[in-house]
Amino acid sequence: MKRLLFRWFNSFSAFQYRLDRRCTRAGSLALGVLGAAVVIGLDTNRTVGYQVLTLVLALVVLSAASSLVFRGRFAARRILPRFASVGVPVTYRVAIANQTGRRQAGLVLLDELSDPRPSFEEFVTAREPGEERRNWFDRQVGYPRWAWLVSQKRGAVIPPRPLPPLDPVVETEVMVEITPLRRGHLRFKGVTIARPDPLGLIQALKSIALPQSLLVLPKRYPMAEIRIAGTRKYQPGGVALASTVGDSEEFVSLRDYRAGDPMRRIHWKSFARVGRPVVKEYLDEFFVRHALVLDTFTTHLGDPVFEEAVSVAASIAISMQTQESLLDLMFVGPEAYCFTAGRGVAHTEQLLEVLACVGPCQDKPFRSLHHAVIDRHDLLSGCVCVLLAWDDARQELVRHLEALGTPTRVFVVGERATLDRLPGDVHGLEVGRIAEGLACL
Amino acid sequence: MLVTPPPMLLGAALLFWGWQTGFLFLALPLAILIEAARALTWRLELSATDFHRLTDLCTLLIVVSGVYLFSTTGTARAADGPRAMTLLFQWLPFLLFPLVASQLYSTAGKVPLTAFFWALRRQAARAPETRPGQVDLGYLYFALCVLSASAANRRTLEFYAGLCVLAGWALWPWRSRRFSPLWWVPMLGIAAVAGYGGHVVLHRFQQVAEQMVFDYIFSIVRGDVDPFRVTTAIGHLGRLKLSDRTVLRVEPREGLHLPFLLREASYDVYNSPAWLASGAAFTAVQPEADGETWRFGTGRSPVERVTVSAYLNRGRGVLTLPGGAFEIDRLAVVGVHRNRLGAVKVEEGLGLVTYTALFAPDGPLDGPPIEPDLRVPPREAALLSRVAMDLSLAGGSPAEKVETVAAYFRRNFKYSTWKGERPRKESALEEFLLNSRAGHCEYFATATTLLLRAAGVPARYAVGFSVQEWSRLEQRYIVRARHAHSWTLAYVHGAWRDVDTTPPVWAETEQSESSLLEPVHDLWSFATFLFSRWRWSEDDSGIGRHAAWLLIPLVLLLVWRLYSRRRVGREAAASRATVAVARPGQDSEFYLIADRLRTAGLGRQAAEPPSEWIERIHARELGPILDLHYRYRFDPAGLDPTERSLLRAQSEAWLRDHAQEAQAVGGRGVG
Repeated sequence: MKRLLFRWFNSFSAFQYRLDRRCTRAGSLALGVLGAAVVIGLDTNRTVGYQVLTLVLALVVLSAASSLVFRGRFAARRILPRFASVGVPVTYRVAIANQTGRRQAGLVLLDELSDPRPSFEEFVTAREPGEERRNWFDRQVGYPRWAWLVSQKRGAVIPPRPLPPLDPVVETEVMVEITPLRRGHLRFKGVTIARPDPLGLIQALKSIALPQSLLVLPKRYPMAEIRIAGTRKYQPGGVALASTVGDSEEFVSLRDYRAGDPMRRIHWKSFARVGRPVVKEYLDEFFVRHALVLDTFTTHLGDPVFEEAVSVAASIAISMQTQESLLDLMFVGPEAYCFTAGRGVAHTEQLLEVLACVGPCQDKPFRSLHHAVIDRHDLLSGCVCVLLAWDDARQELVRHLEALGTPTRVFVVGERATLDRLPGDVHGLEVGRIAEGLACL
Repeated sequence: MLVTPPPMLLGAALLFWGWQTGFLFLALPLAILIEAARALTWRLELSATDFHRLTDLCTLLIVVSGVYLFSTTGTARAADGPRAMTLLFQWLPFLLFPLVASQLYSTAGKVPLTAFFWALRRQAARAPETRPGQVDLGYLYFALCVLSASAANRRTLEFYAGLCVLAGWALWPWRSRRFSPLWWVPMLGIAAVAGYGGHVVLHRFQQVAEQMVFDYIFSIVRGDVDPFRVTTAIGHLGRLKLSDRTVLRVEPREGLHLPFLLREASYDVYNSPAWLASGAAFTAVQPEADGETWRFGTGRSPVERVTVSAYLNRGRGVLTLPGGAFEIDRLAVVGVHRNRLGAVKVEEGLGLVTYTALFAPDGPLDGPPIEPDLRVPPREAALLSRVAMDLSLAGGSPAEKVETVAAYFRRNFKYSTWKGERPRKESALEEFLLNSRAGHCEYFATATTLLLRAAGVPARYAVGFSVQEWSRLEQRYIVRARHAHSWTLAYVHGAWRDVDTTPPVWAETEQSESSLLEPVHDLWSFATFLFSRWRWSEDDSGIGRHAAWLLIPLVLLLVWRLYSRRRVGREAAASRATVAVARPGQDSEFYLIADRLRTAGLGRQAAEPPSEWIERIHARELGPILDLHYRYRFDPAGLDPTERSLLRAQSEAWLRDHAQEAQAVGGRGVG
């Protein structure tokens, strides 16, 4: 039954997409009137609604027939910015070249994103926010969930953009503004040039394949810098690219080789001179190094709590000063990841790029993150944990870090009901009121 | 993107609607009100909640109007007038006008989608920070006016011409600027001609299709008896089972002899397994002066009467009448027809009719016997002659022959709704008379009719109902579908007499097979009957006549709601159009200070907190005013009167102190 519903929704969405591309707003209204006139004019003896029906039908058929021929030839380029951010309008340029010998006026640009329809697995496993409050029929049939998934996967709505008259063999640039609705890659499929028919109901279309992608960074909230108590920690071997700022690797002396010394530290000239391995010894390096631990363990795709947690992590990442310190972003996806930024190793933007693409982890226990963090605790001056719940496993991680002497700040993101019984030193951030929560820090 | 209809289009559509539906006197002021919105400068500041209430009010108006129309259009429908649903559709532009007018006269200029969907309202209540979508009702209302005008069913060329003009008017702003209007005009013309041809063909097609199909399908699906033919279940195998549904209600009369037979039709030609009515063309019966009394002839004493309530299918049907009926009173139908076999059919009646039939044993409803009333089918002739001979029916009066036949069946036959296999060579009647000697009423009636004919007594096969069940719930006799019965009419002593030879146990047998849920069905059936009687009542004292008065308080409520809204000027409306809901603290004097500073070139930047702003421009003396402003603006408890006065006084003092300075700064510009 679910598969049948899925197929039906799939076909309906495809039909709706084609209809939306083909019809202008007047055309959509005409089709609506046509549908109503069919109902009212079904019995031609009772009302004269059938006269409305035949007139509107004639208008639509005539418009459709006149949109069968469109002799335009076009080329297009899309010039995208490097990044966009969720909820922040972004403008990009599309250059259209008219490759015909005549001026083309009255056209509309439809920039198209890739197919947003979810797969069957996504449809079955996803849970719309607040779905438990929907009525039985909606929960069973799942159309609201389908519509929500489509809007989530679409990522942005690009309104039709009327084009200025296109002169022959000249490239004309137009600006298109979109507001991304979700983080991750916004994938463009192509552009379509639409030409409404003389009555303005149905459009003739010329499509140009133009696949591109725009990375949408997570939503960030303004917040004060988080200050965590802690000391500089010894970083064995230093940080390879951090030599231009702060403490660098400084040569101290030569000494005899000891088992375990890396081969690259052997001083070959001295080795040749004295006949036994000699290695170079450097000054130990001590950095301030913080970990930003993101909890990715959620069961639902598109979980709003998880999305807000990613936004909180992104907000924390950009609020921390990384000129003099390092910031490790740690989370578990298909495996445990640790990305380091600061002191010239990488910029915070790169952490945001990583956060833009982070997905929920549904096949591993929280314990895997616990191990990944504890394994690196001796490098860490402090730790900021962004958690999705405050259960035993998460409490154990925090207790473990505190027992190891690692100063820890904990943020728990969730619905209001889940935040009532948090300890005083744990910051609860309510979904929908994250900005307020972070502003209170 | 264009979404607002062009000037005068909505007014023209309303006038068109009024012209077609006969509500021109109503449409004219509505059209003026709608178009005046373009000229008037004031607007109402309506919030989303106000639109919700307006939508609810319109919904209520529609429901009340629906109930009113549903309850008061019985007579109109009987005369083939429009149905309540069609009339309600015609009223819709008027009933939805408050919502459209509110949109046009509101500062928002659009209606939030939450007004139409409860789910969206709940969603908006859960997440107040999300802004719901909005819709402009202009073109939708235009379409509604046109479609409602079509429901008036005025088949004139003016309607189609008006329709084409309005369609062209509505489409003109949407035309593609790529093409010259010289393209647009011919295309619209072609569409108009094609639409005209299309609707002529469509109407013709429906007429032809109706002619071919309607009668055939209707004859299958409708439940009325066919006065020209009835097919019996004689020869069918298995159990005969009929429904418990109540089909007739018979008002009690003293001395009603049970079972009492009510006949629908009688037949004179038997062609196994069907009975046919030969030469039974219907002739119209003229009503008496009151229009509700239909007399078939002069009755003879003693006169008896019975009152029957029956449902009519689409206002048509065959009446159930007692034998010997000569007059029907209080029958509100347009036409009554009768045939020589005593069938009476009515046309263009209400959904439920209640009539009183006057009858006498020698009533004139049935025509005198003719040759087919004595004809025995050749296939059954030998069998029936043999049985008649066995019963010695050759001699004696008709009354004695009837009594002999009745006694024969009473003594030798039993009732059964079950029929098993029979030898191939035997007819069903032969098997019934000679072997099984058991069957249901159709066997008894057919055998009796043919046996009497074989004995020389004119006889007919009659179908109808047997009244035998008293309903304590309804305090009247009820007749169920399973009480359908057949019997014989025998012409004895110059009159047609009912001869029912089916053993009386048939009623108990049928009763024993009734459903366990029968009491529940009866209750529902009674409730439906009471509702139908109220609905189809011709009595002016019914609640339906007064339902229109319910509209008055509703309209007054709407007027009061709109009048109590704060009016604002159009300029102010434009600036506030993006803020549908008034926020607390918007009248804080701190905004005057902010305006003064902005004029001086020290304005606050986008997204800059005011506290940082006054730090940046070194205006720390504004700190206490800002604190009060913040509390006035955001503190749910607000300011008490003293603090409010303090905010006002401090702000005015600052404005006084910095008036000249600000002007000076503004004059030289700020770098």
